[in-house]
Amino acid sequence: MAFRHKNTRRIEGLDSNVWVEFTKVAADPSIVNLGQGLPDISPPSYVKEELAKAAAVDRLNQYTRGFGHPSLVKALSQVYERVCGRKIDPLTDILVTVGAYGSLFSTIQALIEEGDEVIIIEPFYDCYEPMVKMAGAKPVFIPLRYKNDGNSASSADWVLDPTELANKFNSKTKAIILNTPHNPIGKVFTREELQVIADLCIKHDTLCISDEVYEWLVYKGNKHIKIATLPGMWERTITIGSAGKTYSVTGWKLGWSIGPQNLIKHLQVVHQNTLYTCPTPLQEALAQAFWTDYKRMDDPDCYFYSLSRELESKRDRMAQLLQEAGLKPVIPDGGYFMIVDVSTLNVDLSDVDEKQPYDYKFVKWMITSK
Amino acid sequence: MLRRAGPSLRHFLLERKSSAGYSSYSGEVKMSRPVQAQRLEGIDKNIWVEFVKLAATYSTVNLGQGFPDFPPPDFLKEAFVRALSRENHMLHQYTRAFGHPLLVKILAQLFGKLLGRDLDPMTNVMVTVGAYQALFCCFQAFVDEGDEVIIIEPFFDCYEPMVKMAGGMPVFVPLRPKAPQDGKLMSSADWQLDPAELASKFSERTKAIVLNSPNNPLGKVFSRGELELIADLCVKHDVLCISDEVYEWLVYDGKEHIRIASLQGMWDRTVIIGSAGKTFSATGWKVGWTVGPNRLLQHLRTVHQNSVYHCATVAQEAVAQGFQRELELYGKPDSYFIQLSKELQQKRDWLVQSLDAVGMKPIVPEGTYFLVADISEFESDVPDVPDSDEPYDSRFAKWMVKNKGLAAIPLSAFYCGAHKNNYNRFIRFCFAKEEATLKAANDILQKWKREKTRP
Repeated sequence: MAFRHKNTRRIEGLDSNVWVEFTKVAADPSIVNLGQGLPDISPPSYVKEELAKAAAVDRLNQYTRGFGHPSLVKALSQVYERVCGRKIDPLTDILVTVGAYGSLFSTIQALIEEGDEVIIIEPFYDCYEPMVKMAGAKPVFIPLRYKNDGNSASSADWVLDPTELANKFNSKTKAIILNTPHNPIGKVFTREELQVIADLCIKHDTLCISDEVYEWLVYKGNKHIKIATLPGMWERTITIGSAGKTYSVTGWKLGWSIGPQNLIKHLQVVHQNTLYTCPTPLQEALAQAFWTDYKRMDDPDCYFYSLSRELESKRDRMAQLLQEAGLKPVIPDGGYFMIVDVSTLNVDLSDVDEKQPYDYKFVKWMITSK
Repeated sequence: MLRRAGPSLRHFLLERKSSAGYSSYSGEVKMSRPVQAQRLEGIDKNIWVEFVKLAATYSTVNLGQGFPDFPPPDFLKEAFVRALSRENHMLHQYTRAFGHPLLVKILAQLFGKLLGRDLDPMTNVMVTVGAYQALFCCFQAFVDEGDEVIIIEPFFDCYEPMVKMAGGMPVFVPLRPKAPQDGKLMSSADWQLDPAELASKFSERTKAIVLNSPNNPLGKVFSRGELELIADLCVKHDVLCISDEVYEWLVYDGKEHIRIASLQGMWDRTVIIGSAGKTFSATGWKVGWTVGPNRLLQHLRTVHQNSVYHCATVAQEAVAQGFQRELELYGKPDSYFIQLSKELQQKRDWLVQSLDAVGMKPIVPEGTYFLVADISEFESDVPDVPDSDEPYDSRFAKWMVKNKGLAAIPLSAFYCGAHKNNYNRFIRFCFAKEEATLKAANDILQKWKREKTRP
């Protein structure tokens, strides 16, 4: 029987996905899984309690406002007004999405199209490339380059070459995707580095999609700066955040996009034509959690800061373990990932038949044999 | 505060401070081309944004937007709380992207039983953020620029903009009302497709047809004969069927919900869409699913992994437990599916009676929790405005919520732009409401009628 039903052009070549492959390989419970980015520590108890409380309220089990549950967008506007030092309208400047992933998708679908170019800084969170392609646009890559000074490595050693970056901008460039703190390296872009990017965005009239899901996870000596707060940037930036990373609840899949009304309104149109509303009880619980921490933003016990302190000591412990094993980790200034150079181990995988990069083969070997 | 010269200086001069002391910049990005993508063309309007706001502002009795005002069943709420209080806090973290294992397993079991087929939970089922996102995945996966998609009017309003966003061309075919037998109320069964008209809509560019049975807004439950008509055309023209069956458990008067995927030649070309929100009266949980052959679902997975990737874990766990219970009680009187259907049938009859008593002519729905009524007898309250851009029923519904406090949705909301005035003397009511709500609606209608007949 003739069956002509192939997939649409927009998803051609986008079917493979590194997570689908690696989560399967790591699924064996005997394996110590430091792969996929999710905590195995519990979210704070007050966060879990808020969800239980929310589910007990009848009307919170039915549809809420499409663009974001009122109490949640209100809480988000308060927290971010404080952080950004500017007025943020909860109804027009915020969209609640299914995770930061959903925000990235809504932003790209709303503002990027066929013929556009989008600059992506390598290494990058893997979904940026297929999302840009699905929107019919061309990803243009620029690498962070490792400045080697010999001794202990830091994520700050990975930098953009300003001239190289400037050459990537042209009249077709619609947006640049920024991720700070950075996954996978853990780099926290400095004000000067952000200014370089901002200057180019303004000069070329380009949008900035700023993925800041790890915004609270910055370690001693570093400060998370929002590129949207730089002069001339608010009106051209969408800033993306994540409940999953903020509250260690990746399974809640709630995120948000914050920006000027004239950009957010287009994200809202995408949202109303893709999934319309996000789950209500989760949004209510998240709102309550935010109120709790908003009230103590001057207090070191605020979860935004206490989580960061907790993770900093884990970072240091992990770095020590790797160094003791003779490896050279790149100490991250932020985020909860650490990359490490394994070439000193000299594991010979030349007889492994698959046509994959060395690090892919190494990881699979490490999972199965260690 | 020092600013650099050039664009930054201009921006600085435009800056003004609000009374709260925050800077409130009023500039907009002025790009040489439109900032938004072309795919958003013509899909920015949305009827719900307006009507939900009106209901929130004016209504005392809201029979408009489709959600129950009664809670989900206790066993479901308990499953949710149990999931939260477990020692295993990993339910707060990511689960399997294409569907929580426990949930896809039970869905495969249930739908396997209903379809008489062996289903693989990993490849024949995918969980989505509500049925809404399932629909989105289908259109994105299968509708390319220039593809035609047949939509039966009246239709759940999102189908049209979703087809357009995918670059496709919606092709509409109406259900046409046949006059009911003398003395009887019209039934949703009296609204039918004309077979020749339907056949004429299929062309070589037709990629898919969207079927919604039971149908929102009419409540029509397509008969086997009607489904066979559609199936024959799908097979003949090698067309996909996107089958929105969210109201599958809400069928009345002993009617049977027949799944088109179970008809000859249809399993391979159909994606079935379902909803926990409608099944378990928990619309705010936003858990939906697709069921179908792997060769179609693989493309839905590609869209899903590049758009939302994971759905929230806890609600999936609770819904899975809800389904486990229902599978055990399937066909038994304690089954929630059976009880909910019985309860809603009663509410339907109540509302039918209320409307009939005052002269609004209800079309008795065979399924769903919606009911459409002809409001022609109340026209004098809302004079027609010739040459108005707005369909009559929309103006009527707005007047009604503002002046009578009763919220309903105009039927024209479920028609494409060109056809909005074809059936513009009808409004849709949702009767998934507590007895008190329906009683209050009745009081409003009775009072309204008395005011009309007073000299």
